[in-house]
Amino acid sequence: MSRDPASGMAAGSRPRRPVFLQPLQIELPVTATVSFGHRVSGLLLALALPFLAWVLALSLRDPAGYGRVLAGLHSLPARLVLVLLAWALAHHCAAGVRHLLFDAGIGTTLPVARGSAWAVHAFALAVAALVAGGLW
Amino acid sequence: MRLSIFRYNPETDSRPHMQDYEVTPAPGDRMLLDVLERIRTLDDSLAYRRSCREGVCGSDAMNINGGNGLACITPIAGLKEPVVLRPLPSFPVIRDLVVDMTRFFEHYHAIRPYLIRHDPPPEREYLQSPQEREQLDGLYECILCACCTSECPSAWWNPERFLGPAALLQACRFIVDSRDQATDERLEQLDDAYKLFRCRVIMNCTHVCPKGLNPAAAIERIRQAMLRRGL
Amino acid sequence: MKAFYAGMRGWLLQRATALYLLGFVICFSLRGLLTPPASFEAWRAWMLSPGPRLATLLFFVAVALHAWIGLRDIALDYVKPFALRLAVLAAVAGGLAATLGWAALTLSS
Repeated sequence: MSRDPASGMAAGSRPRRPVFLQPLQIELPVTATVSFGHRVSGLLLALALPFLAWVLALSLRDPAGYGRVLAGLHSLPARLVLVLLAWALAHHCAAGVRHLLFDAGIGTTLPVARGSAWAVHAFALAVAALVAGGLW
Repeated sequence: MRLSIFRYNPETDSRPHMQDYEVTPAPGDRMLLDVLERIRTLDDSLAYRRSCREGVCGSDAMNINGGNGLACITPIAGLKEPVVLRPLPSFPVIRDLVVDMTRFFEHYHAIRPYLIRHDPPPEREYLQSPQEREQLDGLYECILCACCTSECPSAWWNPERFLGPAALLQACRFIVDSRDQATDERLEQLDDAYKLFRCRVIMNCTHVCPKGLNPAAAIERIRQAMLRRGL
Repeated sequence: MKAFYAGMRGWLLQRATALYLLGFVICFSLRGLLTPPASFEAWRAWMLSPGPRLATLLFFVAVALHAWIGLRDIALDYVKPFALRLAVLAAVAGGLAATLGWAALTLSS
């Protein structure tokens, strides 16, 4: 899609009128960043699922496989991935609990929803930091 | 005061551009709309909607420094300069800050925004207890300015099929009304993958509503009504 | 009892699986942190004992359903061309089914 740098316009094709829609030029409250984080973390966790099945199969196969999993998890790339996945899991769980509370009608006023959004971000980063601390 | 305003004239422009303005507010100018009116005395080609100029009609909704709001109730004190004014995001632009609201009102009509009664009408008025009337607080005040729907990412990605926060807040207003007798039909109509369920409670709607309403909570109330109805 | 339709059904399934997944993640994280397996034999004996085995199998079923709803939502939002969306959804369904099958095979050995 072509964009005009001055106005940030997307060249609208249907309808024939132009449309201003440039997410980076529109304010993003903390409730929106948590929602986006929920989506990104969910995608990361879904991508990790086949690897989880693989690790499970390998670790249960024989002592050699179990040793390979343990050694593999301590390699540098694996540790970086584990920290990322720890963030994703913590964020997805915390934001999910927040969603379930919303569904029950709890915390849906803007000040409370903003507070819980900050809490989700803080919790996820804290868990990631703890896991990083545990792995190094 | 410096402003940067989105300009688009369909007759002469192939694409929109941003135009800078420098204007000195008069002593009585308190709101952004006052400044826009002052700009129009210098440049009468600038197009925007406005009517009541006190936050009741909902005509002058626009994107102000990245966030949607009504120019007439946005104080100029505290606005970061240059004040960047753009038309409502995701709405087709007719000219400058004037957008096409056709789809917005189609979604509004789709929720049937009127009382539906199956019984014959009473001889006099429909009565409600004070408690029943209280259910409508925070819903009936909506002025349909479209600030919320225009800033909702779910509506950005599915503008045709997701009804958007404004229409859904209105839907809630009739679903919880004790006088309405089409609650079941209303709930059933909204129960598909798109009309309501694209909402992810991002809460941009509640964040920008110039009337301080909470469409996100209204949508959750509809979901709870659906759940109660099914169980 | 009135029927639930497409919107509510997906939403309920997402919530129900979320509750199970949340419980599973908390229990298995605590167990892994408090008493990490000492050896291959201990790990295998614990994992393949009836409780954890069934719970893990259920986890893969629940996570496949939960991820399907979530990934479908992402596709509905961002992938607009019909053929591409179909391809993405087919790949997601295939990947999730294969993952579930692999885990079931592992846990039934």
